[in-house]
Amino acid sequence: MIRAVIADDEAPAREKLAKWLAEQPDVELLGAAEDGLSAARDIEQHQPDVAFLDVQMPTLSGLEVAAQFDPASAPLIVFVTAFDEHAVKAFDLNAIDYLLKPYDRDRFARSLQRVRERLQSHESGAPAVAVGRESVANCKRLLVPDGERLQLIDAAAIEWIQADDNYIHVHTASKSYLLRRTLQDLLAQLGNQRFVRVHKSAAVSLAAIGSLSPLFKGDYEIQLRNGRTLRLSRRYRDELFARMGR
Amino acid sequence: MNATARPTTAGARAQGTALSARILPALWAAFWLLMISASLQDAMRNPRIRWWEPVLWEGSSALVATGWMLLAVKVRARYAIYLDRPLAWFGHYLRWLPLAAVTFVTAVYAIRHGVYALAGRPYEHAGWAFIFVYETVKLILFTGLWLGILFGVDVHGQWQQQRNRLLRTQRALAEAQLAHLQGQLRPHFLFNALNTVSALMHTDVERADRLVARLSDLLRISLRSGGSEMIPLAEELRTLALYTDVMRERFRDRVTLEWHADPELDAAPVPALLLQPLVENVFKHAVERTLMPVHVVISTQREGDLLVLTVRNTGSSLPPSFDEGVGLRNGRERLGIIYGGAASMVIRNEADGVTAIVTLPRDRAA
Repeated sequence: MIRAVIADDEAPAREKLAKWLAEQPDVELLGAAEDGLSAARDIEQHQPDVAFLDVQMPTLSGLEVAAQFDPASAPLIVFVTAFDEHAVKAFDLNAIDYLLKPYDRDRFARSLQRVRERLQSHESGAPAVAVGRESVANCKRLLVPDGERLQLIDAAAIEWIQADDNYIHVHTASKSYLLRRTLQDLLAQLGNQRFVRVHKSAAVSLAAIGSLSPLFKGDYEIQLRNGRTLRLSRRYRDELFARMGR
Repeated sequence: MNATARPTTAGARAQGTALSARILPALWAAFWLLMISASLQDAMRNPRIRWWEPVLWEGSSALVATGWMLLAVKVRARYAIYLDRPLAWFGHYLRWLPLAAVTFVTAVYAIRHGVYALAGRPYEHAGWAFIFVYETVKLILFTGLWLGILFGVDVHGQWQQQRNRLLRTQRALAEAQLAHLQGQLRPHFLFNALNTVSALMHTDVERADRLVARLSDLLRISLRSGGSEMIPLAEELRTLALYTDVMRERFRDRVTLEWHADPELDAAPVPALLLQPLVENVFKHAVERTLMPVHVVISTQREGDLLVLTVRNTGSSLPPSFDEGVGLRNGRERLGIIYGGAASMVIRNEADGVTAIVTLPRDRAA
């Protein structure tokens, strides 16, 4: 069985896709979302094999949804779009599956067939995640687990990020969130405009840094504006200084 | 069409003075120099006449005539509205002729007698009755000549003004039509509408069919070439209704529309495609961006001599640094060209959304 979720904010389009998928004997439709955030929650909840994501949606676009996932565990993604020259070019370039609206049964069937083949050869959604991240370089909003549900937080609200085995803690002024991701992957998603690595298992927002004082052997101590102190290892020192314009 | 037939009086003044500010004074000075030199030549053949006497005769006439001429130039902006009816225009000026004749003869002869008395010479001339008739006939001839010149200069100014206006109006309309065409045929709009049709065909054939008909009507309007600058309000609203019908199929439960069109205003002329960008923005910035139902109110009402067109929507707000798109900029520009300062377009945040208000003079352009 192919476990699938779909997302499209326009009811007629959503209904058509749901109807056609439901008609397939080997497809199980687990969710039909009306916007990006709901789509991300559906994916998180159902861990489907494939997600059909409309590109233009409220809350998060299809590309932004893709960007939120860990490439290693992301489902296959088929983007659905009516007209977006830029995105389509990126899809073609990276061999990402997409369905151009309006589509007929033939094209739909071909697309689904390709999904079947990709699943059989155990391909992942990594290329789609990469294209999503590229298209929303320096992602402004991050999807985090908050109790039962995923929530969106502003990337600007994040003060620092701490790695902890297979998890990372994302700290904002008011709250901390636990994500099952690698620090490197999260930093790749957030882009390099706002955050900088300070040692092997921590990164800080440039805006959160209060002051620096030298320790021994070229290491430094960073005082964050919120009072917390972190160690800056000499391995990451030069990059931080460059980014801070020192 | 009203919109282009009449320049504003302010406009006529601006154009008229630009040309006549240079030409009229030059002509006037040349005319009086000619008169003085002719009189001088005439007088030189008579040894009894001193050189300054002809200068005084013509100079005094020039002085008083210049006073009247300045008055005539001063009121021409007010009389500019009669330029397309020459008889009315001349009539308005000639009303003053009797008063001008009396003051002219009195003032001119008072000056001459005064100067002669100061010079200690007698000023001899024919009897007053003859003088009055003679000077009045001369005055009528020269007044006719100069009013003719003034009329010519002003008509030329007005013609130039109208031509510029017409050119600007045509250019702005062409831009609006292009923007509209691009708007309707904008790939995004078209592909999305086609996709809705394609989707509806599998769930509701009647609706799909209706949508194709609406979409065709809309494309027909878009492709209709040689549109006029002004169209009846009802026609503008019909185009909007088609557009919103198509968009409503896409966003179904996410948008509700409320129309308050005063049927008495159906025939009122409005600039074509003025409201279209306002409604497009509602979909682009409110309906497409949120899952919350957006309520849109489109209303037309009369306030005294003004026509007030309002597009109000919930579910969006203008960002602090709000950059007007091509559609809005073009609309504002056209309002300025057609109505001068008499029309306005205001877009602002209101309690739970955005309101755009267009105010126009009801019956006619400036």
